[in-house]
Amino acid sequence: MKASFPNLGYDTYALKTFLEDLGAEVILPPPNSRRTIEFGSLHSPELICMPYKITLGNMLEALELGADTLFMAAGARKCRFGYYHYLHERALRDLGKECRFIPVTQYSPFDFVFKVMPGIFDVSPFRVMRAVTKMLAKSRLTQEFRQHLNRKMAIDFGGAEQAKPKALAVIERAHTLKEIQAARGEVLRIFNLNGTEPQIRLGLVGEIYFMIEQFASQEIEKELGKMGAEVVFERSLYRHIRHLLFSDPAFTRSGRLAHRYLQESPGGEAIRTVGEAVYFQRQGLDGVVHIFPFTCMPENIALEALQKLSEETGLPVLSLSFDEHTSRTGLLTRLEAFVDLVKRRKLGRRLHRN
Amino acid sequence: MKVGVPRALLYHRYGRFWEEFLAGLGAEVVVSRRTDKVLLQQGLSHVSGEICLPIKIMAGHIEELGGKIDVLFLPRLLWLEDRLYACPKMIGIVDIARMMFDGRLPICAPNIRGSFWWPHFRAGMELCHDPVRVVRALTRARRYIPAHDRAPDFPAGEKRVALLGHFYNLDDDFISRPMVDTLTGHGYRICTKDELPEKVLRNRQGFARKIRWVYERELYNAFRFLVDKVSGVCIIVSMGCGPDSLVAEFMREEAQQRDIPFLQLVIDEHSGTAGIVTRIEAFLELSERRHAGRSKIQDSRLQIGGQAAAA
Repeated sequence: MKASFPNLGYDTYALKTFLEDLGAEVILPPPNSRRTIEFGSLHSPELICMPYKITLGNMLEALELGADTLFMAAGARKCRFGYYHYLHERALRDLGKECRFIPVTQYSPFDFVFKVMPGIFDVSPFRVMRAVTKMLAKSRLTQEFRQHLNRKMAIDFGGAEQAKPKALAVIERAHTLKEIQAARGEVLRIFNLNGTEPQIRLGLVGEIYFMIEQFASQEIEKELGKMGAEVVFERSLYRHIRHLLFSDPAFTRSGRLAHRYLQESPGGEAIRTVGEAVYFQRQGLDGVVHIFPFTCMPENIALEALQKLSEETGLPVLSLSFDEHTSRTGLLTRLEAFVDLVKRRKLGRRLHRN
Repeated sequence: MKVGVPRALLYHRYGRFWEEFLAGLGAEVVVSRRTDKVLLQQGLSHVSGEICLPIKIMAGHIEELGGKIDVLFLPRLLWLEDRLYACPKMIGIVDIARMMFDGRLPICAPNIRGSFWWPHFRAGMELCHDPVRVVRALTRARRYIPAHDRAPDFPAGEKRVALLGHFYNLDDDFISRPMVDTLTGHGYRICTKDELPEKVLRNRQGFARKIRWVYERELYNAFRFLVDKVSGVCIIVSMGCGPDSLVAEFMREEAQQRDIPFLQLVIDEHSGTAGIVTRIEAFLELSERRHAGRSKIQDSRLQIGGQAAAA
């Protein structure tokens, strides 16, 4: 079986390890590029959100490389994401692509371990559980890698650029649980942070695909890092899997903190977005950046709540929606203005004094 | 006590029910005026530009009611039977309203989960504190929840076109007037989903089973039911409507397979009447031509068949 799945930022490594553990040969789609998204949007409905277009592009490119089985996450109650795989499957069929398409439902971990995965790979549930543990460890590694990278970029951008490929190589090499454990220290050593504090710290909240896959948000973490702002995030694949396994303490906390603004979940991740923003505000972060795909339904409701939060607490909030036409220059101008504002506020200077 | 009900979104289906229910509680019911440009402008200043048109209109209605009432009655539909969810924005609009008034105006928002009875009873208790009266008001108002048992007739020889869209778009004159006028002006009978019986709309066969949004499932079922009874299908989608962007895609494919003209009109607050009228006229002409062309082809086939039989 030559398995493939859409790119998921740095967490691609974690998913690759997982499938390899179960005995599949993994073919990774090429890194996301202009071509991916053009390819994807060519075969997508007009008004659908951006993650669909990128993931479809990934699948088409993976098929070109010779993959014959595609995995795609499915299942999200009120959000459009739960219907992606119907459209994906249909689009691939219409294009005449021969492949096995396997949608994997997120919200039933027991089925996943005992039925779905053993059914596909013909392995014991025990082995699936071991693979899940390893995937968790590895996604925690990538999460820590991202945290270190963000901090390093804010302090010393050039140094971060040099350290990044080295750290990624370490992550890719780590196969067993022991090696992954050792890699955590190794990654920290490579980034060599020495407890230096960056000028300002910004919280990043938003739709989960955008939080994980940096290409979709035009590498917003890197751009903010270049401007001297450390990006702090709460959501990652690691936390998401923990949540799916009912063991993410931050999930209940988000619901509690968001309750003032949203009393019922409008679906998707709106509650978490708002809860995390409130959490960041209480942690004393200097601002919040909110990213989501254009026309995303739950995040648009979250946007209203974030505006209210900003009004009430004075926390600077920048909401950015992305689609394939978002201009990079416009984005950079907005980010620069925002970072400038936050810096001035933090340093206590007013405009007229300058 | 003055209780305000905004004339938007769910009002277009359950409005009569709510009015009767609230009147039965002894409250004075204030319904906002019909949608117009001023209301829309008010709404635009309260929600982000990316949200769909009906929500913008809803925000305008809520703002309009603001100063005139003591309590805002704004039920929140979470899901109906079979765990069919409402759209995320419909769930969120109550929170947006709460944030708009910032506690200055009490909002009575029963959370409808499956059944109407219990949340409305609790909401009634909040408003009038007399259980007997609440139960009586609910029982009396209940018959105003719209339900059709029989499908309408589709006589032969009539020109019909299906106009599919959410009821809160179609029943709002401000949005649907140009489309309805153009279609009726050309002598077409308009078939909508809201005149179809419950049995058809709640159908669970085929792809409909997989749709987990309550009104999308209705739309899709209505489409399946009407598609071979009309000469063309026109669907109205508000810009930024997530569920529609998916389900419309499936409808388009099916219409293509059956060779039925299909028009998808995307509306927002900037869509001018002229553009819509032109598109609908072109669509009607196409469907007429195709209709004529098809009967011609059928005729020629008959002739060929006839000749073959004669030979």
